[in-house]
Amino acid sequence: MDRVERLQDAKVLKNQPYDESLEVNDAEEVASVYSPAPQDHAQSESRQRSSRGRGLMSANSSSDELDEDSKRQERKEPMSIQGGASPNEEEEEEEEEEESDEEETEDDDDDEAAAPEGAYDPAHYANLPVSTEVKELFQYITRYTPQSVDLDHSLRPFIPDFIPAVGDIDAFLKVPRPDGQSDSLGLLVLDEPSVKQSDPTVLSLWLSEETKQHGAAELKKVTSVVSPQLNPRPVDSWVDSIGALHRSKPPASVQYGRAMPDIDSLMQEWPPEMEDLLGRVDLPSARLRCDLDQYCDLVCALLDIPVYGGRIQALHLLFSLYLEFRDFQHFIRT
Amino acid sequence: MILSRVKPAVGGETPASIGEKKKKNKTKVPRLEEYLQQRDYLGALTLLEFQRSIGEKEEHADLWIGYCAFHLGDYKRAIEEYKSLTMQPDCSAEVWVYLACAMFFLGLYKEAEEAASKAPVSPLQNRLLFHLAHKFNDEKRLMGFHQNLENVTEDQLSLASIHYMRSHYQEAIDIYKRLLLQNRDFLALKVYVALCYYKLDYYDVSQEVLAVYLQSIPDSTIALNLKACNHFRLYNGKAAEKELKNLIDISSCSFEFAKELIRHNLVVFRGGEGALQVLPPLIDVIPEARLNLVIYYLRQDDVQEAYNLIQDLVPSTPQEYILKGVVNAALGQEIGSRDHLKIAQQFFQLVGGSASECDTIPGRQCMASCFFLLRQFEDVLIYLNSVKGYFYNDDTFNFNYAQAKAALGSYKEAEEVFLLIQSEKIKNDYVYLSWLARCYIMNQKGQLAWELYLKMGTSSDSFSLLQLIANDCYKMGQFYYAAKAFDALEKLDPGSNYWEGKRGACVGIFQLILANKEPKETLKEVVPLLRNSGNPQVEYIIRVLRKWAKENRVLLS
Repeated sequence: MDRVERLQDAKVLKNQPYDESLEVNDAEEVASVYSPAPQDHAQSESRQRSSRGRGLMSANSSSDELDEDSKRQERKEPMSIQGGASPNEEEEEEEEEEESDEEETEDDDDDEAAAPEGAYDPAHYANLPVSTEVKELFQYITRYTPQSVDLDHSLRPFIPDFIPAVGDIDAFLKVPRPDGQSDSLGLLVLDEPSVKQSDPTVLSLWLSEETKQHGAAELKKVTSVVSPQLNPRPVDSWVDSIGALHRSKPPASVQYGRAMPDIDSLMQEWPPEMEDLLGRVDLPSARLRCDLDQYCDLVCALLDIPVYGGRIQALHLLFSLYLEFRDFQHFIRT
Repeated sequence: MILSRVKPAVGGETPASIGEKKKKNKTKVPRLEEYLQQRDYLGALTLLEFQRSIGEKEEHADLWIGYCAFHLGDYKRAIEEYKSLTMQPDCSAEVWVYLACAMFFLGLYKEAEEAASKAPVSPLQNRLLFHLAHKFNDEKRLMGFHQNLENVTEDQLSLASIHYMRSHYQEAIDIYKRLLLQNRDFLALKVYVALCYYKLDYYDVSQEVLAVYLQSIPDSTIALNLKACNHFRLYNGKAAEKELKNLIDISSCSFEFAKELIRHNLVVFRGGEGALQVLPPLIDVIPEARLNLVIYYLRQDDVQEAYNLIQDLVPSTPQEYILKGVVNAALGQEIGSRDHLKIAQQFFQLVGGSASECDTIPGRQCMASCFFLLRQFEDVLIYLNSVKGYFYNDDTFNFNYAQAKAALGSYKEAEEVFLLIQSEKIKNDYVYLSWLARCYIMNQKGQLAWELYLKMGTSSDSFSLLQLIANDCYKMGQFYYAAKAFDALEKLDPGSNYWEGKRGACVGIFQLILANKEPKETLKEVVPLLRNSGNPQVEYIIRVLRKWAKENRVLLS
């Protein structure tokens, strides 16, 4: 802290009220012209005490007055030390203290020269109706001049807010299209990739499917997801994409042994009489008292699906027809 | 329309939707152009690679791959592609400048310059060298390349971005506005203008301009990120985070562009949460990452770590100067280094006195900090008063403000402000305790100062506080607490002589009693206080006191 004040080395030393106040301290000796008065009364008693009490502190006990002076000198130093440092440090700090005192005086001039508001003023008590003995006692109050204790300052720096990043502006240091056409990137739209990017793995699977070029580029990259339980999105996304891929594939093509009607013709409406009848009569349900083979034949017949010998191919067409209807927009109601 | 999306987008452009397009175009495989139009560069790259693998090549397939990788932001990939192209004997010399561009964005400036020098002279090459000169801080060459710029859109935009990087935002805005007047459909320029306004702290204006772009392209990463940043400045981290979340939700999993930027900003918006995990790898990738990590360390009071991170940074933006100033001020005070404090003071002065920052809040804080370090508290107050309204409940502000007030003798206000402080750390700081004690005493509340002492453990600080209480109370005629403090000092420090002060304080109490300013009963406490000292004068004084007590029927023991 004290070192901070040294930053103002350039400052001119103007005033030294601290030193002045020291002089007031010393002026006590002048004051001591009348000070013996209370002491004289006390002398006989206090002498006895002093011989016991002070012997340890000071070898210099020739006279009270002298003794007091020397101790005042002693006291003056520790008083201005802050923090009760060890003696060796005391000396250093003492120096700094004094420097800072001198430098700070400029700011503190007003405070120190003019006593702060509400400071003790002996004049306020000068007219108390008291005995001379008490009045003499009162002189002890002004005899001590309180030290100016300098306090450290500490700047708490203003720590800025966190700074979000917005990036730089397009500097037009960009690769043009190889075909020489304008891409208006950075002009009509920002030159940034769209947030919707194809998944390379899904796309290559799809491409090889579409071009029937299996093997070439297939699954050259298999991504993995770290801790999927915390991060379910890529997994869901993968499942959805692969699902969509499979759906978009043509249904596994089956070569029928005999010509079959195509799905579109099977999806045509029934004749009006039939529709009319279906309004009143339910289709035969699976509870019909017949075996499964017969039931299959029945249903295929109703739906105009020919059954040649084995029923597998006919049933395949039947279920293909079912899937087609199921996904047919016209019937999807919400 | 983004918000109503129930399910997150599946793996980008789904095969199903591609399938639809395929039907329309009557071709089995989608064309490259469709991916490019969608700016689905990952899709385009996959397609190109697939074609390459089955031996079905587009014309200039390698260049297209480089183009796609570059615009995807995968500069490493682009460099690889262009490098292998340059090895081929029939390679066009233009490829060198493409390679240089990709290197530039990876921060490989030296390599970029070398590559660019092999390319034929072209506007793109000139622009690149212009920006390289800026990165190298080579003013002379910068001016040279500047002269070569022509009055065409690309060159002008490139110049504007230099203005932006040099914090000359108004100049940049002027260029953009001029170009926008000529080409109303250059919507991207709106975003550039919005970025400039953001940097100028006009967040609401930025938001307004940005909205125009977002209206036509609602899922733009750069624009949505800027919107989030505006929200951060205008409202708070929560509002900003919501915007970013939005962006994350609509982007596909394979979307890597600006991922680091988003991670970085999430830390910022969450007030530093996750800083130690996210930010260190982003240092030198995102310029703000280093600064934010420094801010994080400062907030954790890890000044040394903050200093280590920033000491080699050559500041160029006001934010960097401020942060360097703050770190030096904190460190200088912590280790008592005059050199650091001097640097801090200089940086603060530089920012606070600059034309661009002198009227901003951080600028004012800088000037106040500068004068605080110089101990010119009148000036400190001028600057702090000018921004006081923004910091009513800010402990840091109040701590500095109250110290300045107290240093100038405005103890009443200082006391009020000191008492507003909530932070336990500050409240246990000896600087706080000692100044508050002084304020109490100067405001005739010696008892409160004494209570501060009683709450402190025994330490060198509590010893200093006693000296403060003893002398300040004495000065202010609060002799009771002065006497108690001198008495305590005497016990703690028997080697020094506190008798004179204690004697005066005890007699002072007596005087106050006689003046009816102190209850007579207090005299009872004075006797033992005096007796604690082994001075020969004690008995004489006690005798006078007793005499008076007897005359006035006050019981002394």
